Amino acid sequence: MTATTTPSRTPRALSAGTMLSGGALIALVGLFALLSVQMYAENLSDAAYAASYWFGTSLQILFALVIIFVALRIGWGQHVGKQWFFVGLGVAAYAAGDIAWTILDLHLGLDPYPSVADLFYTLEYAFFFIAMVLAVRSYRSITDLRTPVIIGAVISVVAAAAMYFLLLKPYIFAAGVEELGTWGLVVSTLYPLGDVFFMLGPAMTLAIVIMRLGAGRLAWPWWIVVVGALVFSMADSLYSYADWSGAGSSTLLEMGWMSANLLFALAALVARDVYRVR
Amino acid sequence: MSTLSDRVVSTLGPYVGDTVADTCVRATALSLGKTADDLTPSDFPTLEANVRRLLGPVAPTAVVDQLLADIERGL
Repeated sequence: MTATTTPSRTPRALSAGTMLSGGALIALVGLFALLSVQMYAENLSDAAYAASYWFGTSLQILFALVIIFVALRIGWGQHVGKQWFFVGLGVAAYAAGDIAWTILDLHLGLDPYPSVADLFYTLEYAFFFIAMVLAVRSYRSITDLRTPVIIGAVISVVAAAAMYFLLLKPYIFAAGVEELGTWGLVVSTLYPLGDVFFMLGPAMTLAIVIMRLGAGRLAWPWWIVVVGALVFSMADSLYSYADWSGAGSSTLLEMGWMSANLLFALAALVARDVYRVR
Repeated sequence: MSTLSDRVVSTLGPYVGDTVADTCVRATALSLGKTADDLTPSDFPTLEANVRRLLGPVAPTAVVDQLLADIERGL
């Protein structure tokens, strides 16, 4: 064998396909944001309102399809394929919740909270948590995971304490079963706790693991997932607080879930590129 | 660092970061009872086994195959 003569492969930047697909998804979300402002201001006809409502729901379905497609392309037999498949299932569960919510609210005229939609929404936490556990565990042969897991758990507990004193104790527990019903109390408690224990904490753990390793391009998609999880947990918690405290929601706040799932879809597109050597 | 160590870090670094790439080198050296500087191209089979074990969970097999081929081609 001879001394090194072949230069190392220079990783490509993101492909044109990813830039175009990602740009299209961002543009669609931008369009929905504009429609959402009009929906909030009640400037739309009934038909336009219904079409805009379904447009938003359809975007969630599109995000889920993008992620699941990428996961299947990577392959279920691959460790990383499973990780992305569970991220996709999480977004798909959220999309199913949106479909149920839209039908109940828009077409049946029923109060969609609490309802079967919440069952699907809360499933996103479970699937996302599984994805994060798998992603963090994939580094177990490379680095010690104990410290990142402990830090992630501490962040979760501190955030949960904040949720308890700012939201659960003064509003949700105060309302109790009498006002919310059993199912309403369960899901109203589950959302803020799910945000911190199943989204924020695991995402922070993964962020610490890849930050400590100074990870290269294979970590790019996971950084986007971490940002998405932060956006999701912040938006969800702030929405709950705004709703219960009477501060009132806003279009920006309601775009939080859409933005988070958009980020998960963009992350999957980036993953498709970084897992491709040639 | 030896040619093999340099090659591993320069090839894997952009994908998994220099820390992980260096971990692959050190794990190989450790399993052979050598230092990173003492690794030679003849140690590639052991390196390959360690890279597959460490990177298998974080990257698809095709990516690991390609990176190993890149390392081997440069030796």
